Amino acid sequence: MRVRLLYMGCSAWLLAASSWAADRTLSVTIYADDLALVQDRRDIDVKEGRQRIEFTEVSGQIRPETVSLAAADISIIEQNFDFDLLTPAKLMEKAVGQEITIVRVNPATGAETREQAQVLATNGGVVLKIGQRIEVLRDDGLPVRVIFSKVPDNLRARPTLSVSIIGARAGTRRATLSYLTPGLGWKADYVALYNESDSKIDVQGWVTLTNSSGTTYDNAQTLLVAGSPGQVDGGSNNNYRPPPRRSTLQTPGTESGNRERLGDYYLYPLAERTTIANLQTKQVSFLDVHGVPAEHGYEFRNRWLGTAEMPVSAKSIYSFSTSAHAGLGDQLPAGVLRFYMRDKRGDPQFIGESRIDHTPMGSTLSLATGDAFDVKVHAVVEKRTRISTFDWQTDMRYELTNALPRSVVVKLRQEGLWGDSSIKAESQKSFRSSAEAAEWAVTVPANGKATLTASFETRY
Amino acid sequence: MLGLAIGAVPRAAPVSAAEILAEPPSDLIVTVYRAPYRSSGSINLNYLGGFALVTETRIVHLPAGRSRLRFEGVADGIEPASAIITGLAGGVIEKNRDARLLSPAALVAATLGKPVELLRTLRKTGKTERQTGTLLSDAGGGVVLKTEQGIEALRCSGLPETFSFEPVSGLSARPTLSVEVHSASAQTRQLTLSYLSRGFDWAADYTATLSDDGKSVDLGAWVTLANSNGVGFPAAHTQVVAGRINHEDGEVNPIDIGGPILAQCWPRGSTSDQPMILRFERSRGFDSINALAGMPAAAPAMLRESVVVTAQKVAQEQLGDLKLYRVPARTTLASRQSKQVRLMDRSGIPVDTVYGAEVEVDQDEAASTQAHRWLRTKNTAANHLGVALPAGGVAVFGAVDGRRLLEHESNLRDIAVDEEVEISMGESPDVQVTAIKEKASVDAPQGLLPLVPGVSLRSVKIGAADRVTISNPFAGGIEFELELRLEAGARVVRADHALGAKNGRPIFRLRVPAHETVTVRYQIEHTGDRILRTP
Repeated sequence: MRVRLLYMGCSAWLLAASSWAADRTLSVTIYADDLALVQDRRDIDVKEGRQRIEFTEVSGQIRPETVSLAAADISIIEQNFDFDLLTPAKLMEKAVGQEITIVRVNPATGAETREQAQVLATNGGVVLKIGQRIEVLRDDGLPVRVIFSKVPDNLRARPTLSVSIIGARAGTRRATLSYLTPGLGWKADYVALYNESDSKIDVQGWVTLTNSSGTTYDNAQTLLVAGSPGQVDGGSNNNYRPPPRRSTLQTPGTESGNRERLGDYYLYPLAERTTIANLQTKQVSFLDVHGVPAEHGYEFRNRWLGTAEMPVSAKSIYSFSTSAHAGLGDQLPAGVLRFYMRDKRGDPQFIGESRIDHTPMGSTLSLATGDAFDVKVHAVVEKRTRISTFDWQTDMRYELTNALPRSVVVKLRQEGLWGDSSIKAESQKSFRSSAEAAEWAVTVPANGKATLTASFETRY
Repeated sequence: MLGLAIGAVPRAAPVSAAEILAEPPSDLIVTVYRAPYRSSGSINLNYLGGFALVTETRIVHLPAGRSRLRFEGVADGIEPASAIITGLAGGVIEKNRDARLLSPAALVAATLGKPVELLRTLRKTGKTERQTGTLLSDAGGGVVLKTEQGIEALRCSGLPETFSFEPVSGLSARPTLSVEVHSASAQTRQLTLSYLSRGFDWAADYTATLSDDGKSVDLGAWVTLANSNGVGFPAAHTQVVAGRINHEDGEVNPIDIGGPILAQCWPRGSTSDQPMILRFERSRGFDSINALAGMPAAAPAMLRESVVVTAQKVAQEQLGDLKLYRVPARTTLASRQSKQVRLMDRSGIPVDTVYGAEVEVDQDEAASTQAHRWLRTKNTAANHLGVALPAGGVAVFGAVDGRRLLEHESNLRDIAVDEEVEISMGESPDVQVTAIKEKASVDAPQGLLPLVPGVSLRSVKIGAADRVTISNPFAGGIEFELELRLEAGARVVRADHALGAKNGRPIFRLRVPAHETVTVRYQIEHTGDRILRTP
């Protein structure tokens, strides 16, 4: 049992605030989008009649408009969120017109002289009325202590939630305070160890919780929700859309797992109560799978029918399934997947990472970890001819090089086939994955080269 | 649920875990990756944009039951989400990284609402008066406290005032990683902790020394790696990885780097002040506490440039699609240090010196530009190379009368085996290239310009020709590449020199003899020309 010392020094606050027993149960539901629902059950002491109850140790970023308080035999009059902060300047400002005590300290002797003064103004400097004289505080630079008799009512060290209620009867009762707050968030972090000899990966999944809400949540029952509930953007017009990333999801899955769900969201309850300290990053394991088959390949995308001045590295791609029979066997909450591989000495080394979105079970993921040092593609526009007013022909040549001692297959993807585009001639059969792109699987021999040519007709 | 633990009060909660401190690392492996966005060039010691994978082997003595295992001395730039711990039998219940650091401001925040002792010293007598009180607020940089005399603000009186705090828990000197573990019995185990950390970078730094005849170079290279963390890595297995890999940056890891106690006061204007001059007065007695407010976990700041040169050569191995370079013996990567290890030394690499310029066609005004110069070779074993060349900077040296001179500095991208290597040597003011549009002069003095092979006579009309002159003041002939920039669909139809192609663009590969000027004439057919003629 803990004695509440917070704010006790201030008698004015004690009058207003009902104290409550330390018996308190917290449950925190954290969404993936920097949003959390906090349910705070405390025992509160209620008197009969009208009174104000202060709730300290709520999130420093509480959204006061989402607060609800429920307790037996009370009716709520109003709810206030005070964010006028207690600073020396505010203290002095609120003391205008009131009496303060000043203590002059004689720098030579240390002798103290006490006087009562009235604060007249605090504009730029503090103007005092002492007896019938007007003085400016510490105008001469000599030490003067100022002692205030009380702290004004609504000045707080931290933004504080207070609720005015009418108690139907006196006594201790259980109150449930619930509110939404930003500052708490979570994402998943995955560690995948790729074994080159048998093309298998071991994957561990961790839930990473971060708390920058300014408050510590002690012994909280914690539930994580994968998925982002629609949030109304507080009036701000944020139209920025980042450029599209390379899609990691190749085939969306259609399997359902045995995770708990809420509507369309998956729920990840933490097994034990945990303390989420302020400014803490906390990780809890949720997935550990071994020996999942994975494929390693290469991918090169040419964004438009253009020439590169020099060869560009192909992307190194790892793909695997999340299905139950031949994969991870779980749906994956959004996060970052980090790939590791053992070096010649057997130490795991980091080989790149990729962000993934919420992924249903049974999906096929294809993740780019970085550039391949030894596999490069040089795309060149050989010729561009105007066939008629709106028709153009573009002859592309792609030089693929491979400095690895084994042959590789590069998935070469030509994008930017806008409008009415067709392939008139090509050195190898293409696959038109969409109207906008054509794909070839080009085999490049060990320590060798391959050339692909294609002729596009585009109409604008 | 009983027993609530708040703040710094000892926990009476059911999860009472023993605090166990892991022993300092007994073995260290540091793998440095370069900044993902930098495809060529050297590192910038003032901002190291790369990262490293740090693997530490540590011994822990675990009691039976639940304990909270703390790893002190991990790199300040640790990305906590990337931490992996292996070697625990009972398994990890949770991993935590606390970023609340011990700082003057954090002490005040932790003491909020709690008793604190105020020390007030009279300068004249040196007498210190101690007053117990309660900290009421530290909002907005000001400190308000309550003593038995009333409410006062810190350091507004002009007297030297400071606090003497009661011990607080939960604040550490630097970000500390901890894990909650469960162990069936008391045991001593060897753990491996690995994590990614910011504040590292590396690059290859090449020096190319041209032979006297300019026909070959000796290429040497250093691996330059640097650590801007406040933590050093003694006797570590060290390696660097070449190749660009994806690494998400800008993840929000809450961190509180702490700050000084500002103790802002009420308006302090005096009658002699001009209006609104903001001034925070600090008593002399507080300089010491302000000095404490360093930034232990601040982003890589200025490095003290202590450069250590060692003469061992790194060994290369393949790591997936990347290249790993291993420093053969253990080495110490100290805090805020840059270190160089020999990457390679190759001599007698044949190089071609090539001059070139890109010209815009159809320029009405004569435009004179300086030619660009390159050293060009191929990365093959026959050329005494044939090794992966990781990206970095290259300095080219020549010699005049036996004296070594720096000729040019440029950047090198990642170059695989069998690829062409081009080292830029900058602009050459001696070789001038002038391009101008000649009026209807397809019939050159010597007669009509010859047709480019593959272009039929019937389809070409007589039009304006461009003239480009290249002057060579040197005593020897030079190889010159004249590249033309054409709009889409345009082509060269007539030319008085053999026309080639590079990257799909027309190019004239010429030899300009010593002390001579070569003139190239060509005719361009624009798309508009042909559309007019085709029905």
